[in-house]
Amino acid sequence: MTVFDQAYSRRTFLKASGAAGVAVSLGGVTAACNLIGGQGGTINWMTWGDHWIQSQLDAIAKETNVTTSISELAGNAQGFAKVKEVKGQLDKISGDALWVPDAYNKEGLIEPFDINELKVASQLFPFARQFPIWTTSEGYLGYPFGWSPISIYYDPANVTGNPDSWEVILDPKYKGKVVVENQPEEIVAYMARAAGFDKPYDLTDEQLATVKGLLEQLKPNILRFAQQATDSVAAMVSGEAWLITGNIGNEDRVKKDGGPEIKGFIPKEGTVAWQDAEMVVKEGANKALVLPFLEKSQQAEYIAENFLTHGRPLFNEKAYEVLVNQGHKDQADRYHYHDAEEVLGQSVLKGPGTSTEKSIKLFQEVFGA
Amino acid sequence: MATETVGGVALAPPTSVGDGRAARLRQLAPFLPAGLILVGLFFVPIALMFVFSLWDTTENLDIVPTWDLHNYQAFFDSPTYVRTLAKTMIMGAGVTLISLVAAFVVAYFLARYVSRRWARLALLFIIVPFWTSYLLRVYSWQAILGEKGALNQVLMGLGVISEPSRLFVYNDVGTFIVLTYVYLPFAILVLYASLDRFDFTQLTAAQDLGANPARAFRHVLIPQIRPGIITACIFVFIPILGEFLTPSMVGGASGFLIANLVANFFTNALVPEGAAVGFMIAAFVLILLIVFRKYLRVEDVYARG
Repeated sequence: MTVFDQAYSRRTFLKASGAAGVAVSLGGVTAACNLIGGQGGTINWMTWGDHWIQSQLDAIAKETNVTTSISELAGNAQGFAKVKEVKGQLDKISGDALWVPDAYNKEGLIEPFDINELKVASQLFPFARQFPIWTTSEGYLGYPFGWSPISIYYDPANVTGNPDSWEVILDPKYKGKVVVENQPEEIVAYMARAAGFDKPYDLTDEQLATVKGLLEQLKPNILRFAQQATDSVAAMVSGEAWLITGNIGNEDRVKKDGGPEIKGFIPKEGTVAWQDAEMVVKEGANKALVLPFLEKSQQAEYIAENFLTHGRPLFNEKAYEVLVNQGHKDQADRYHYHDAEEVLGQSVLKGPGTSTEKSIKLFQEVFGA
Repeated sequence: MATETVGGVALAPPTSVGDGRAARLRQLAPFLPAGLILVGLFFVPIALMFVFSLWDTTENLDIVPTWDLHNYQAFFDSPTYVRTLAKTMIMGAGVTLISLVAAFVVAYFLARYVSRRWARLALLFIIVPFWTSYLLRVYSWQAILGEKGALNQVLMGLGVISEPSRLFVYNDVGTFIVLTYVYLPFAILVLYASLDRFDFTQLTAAQDLGANPARAFRHVLIPQIRPGIITACIFVFIPILGEFLTPSMVGGASGFLIANLVANFFTNALVPEGAAVGFMIAAFVLILLIVFRKYLRVEDVYARG
């Protein structure tokens, strides 16, 4: 008789099931305690896919025994809402420009720190250590990472007339030929800039009505929404899209992937720009690991590698030297690696605004059936 | 006193009212784990979602308890949302209908004309795509239906079209095709299970008694596989109400279904608004299941073994 043939009473069965459940739960708890309580630990980090490279994380884990559990960040509003919801379950969160002071810090979700205490911070451009928007009496709100204005890229073989305005993506000639990322509040902001509004995240109801008209004009031109930046590049490479919006460096990414020679420009009406920071979540269970992790992960060699992999400027000045030494000066200069202050100064920085909620609802109304 | 039996096993007769109640409670004990799972993972989340749907999001993206129905009112006040819900239902109904017809043909053929051994092999091939991830399959369809995709190449090779067409992708047609592909196997499996137990000599008998084939089919076959048809409808129609991946991948900018709006609400921190729409979908599904339940007699399934 095998164990499966034995007769079990209901009591025995329930006891065995209960014991198995308890054993599984205890096993999980013990494993978690070992990981956190021992040397090193795991940083729970919510970030965009271009903030890290696997080889970098592997090397740091090997050296320090600090591993990372990464969850993908789809947008600023989502990240902000997530930290508010899960608090201590995240230790580190990436966020954009004005989202850092006006959302995360205002809500008391992050822990400021003395950036100059980090040795690696000396590798940053000096201005990156003293952005007024991230400076508070309690300390610096985040570790500066990368930046880029949002530009329009086009395939000159199909898009004629040297466009220089947001109007090109509204032109009926390009019906079904435009791909933008699925970020409702940003798409509304682009159209607000197209309409000439200086505060695309603080729109009045009247301005929103104008923007709605432009979104309706844009809708037939949109082929599809990209789920991430690489989708936009892929659409350009395949020839499905003639116009995309995106970060500095898309012309090289498209070419590298076998696509056509494309051109890019910052619309004359102005654009929006992002500049990322890595923040320490105040209630993070493993927040003590974040600054030591930054010390390792923000070293110039890793940042230079990140630049070459993901191709947009970063705030690490020493990484620029590494790039020059490696023969990538031309690329770094074309990507305005040295011009952050000037380029960002001409753009509206991403941030939460008084019209964020209305903007998202407006997008839904236009792009629903 | 009559001896009670459960599953053929005689139970000791209760000696008093209290013992009887205790015995009945003991009989219910095995349902406890499933009951707890149902309560913990379904009823509690649904209740939480309903509570959230009565709250509001501030300009600062804070969620504040307002305890009113304004999110529901906003939904019905917006023609776009109502249209998107209606479009989702029409899409679901269309895909369900096509899937049922196509699945019936396949399942009927397999059950009636193919040996059980070969039928099982065929069913294995039908479910092979499920061995890969849903995301990969939808990406593949993007490649098949796209301008430079296989379908366009074939049609151009055959001379049907002279230049690549975008008729099949980034619109509702693309969504319809891919959803049909995704859910057809479920319908085939369910209908095959029903047809496999059907005694096809009954159709011959009905015709011997004067029924024409269509009448025999309608009055003999269909009533007996009704539970399978209804189950197939449930398996296809209801998941489509929650589909957001396929429309976002192959539906284009005009291909949004209601779940895309829900997903956008949630990913942009408008939780109460998303919860209201999500709860309406859940309520609709519940009503649908109650209606289906009326026509789906459980004894139909078990009585015929």
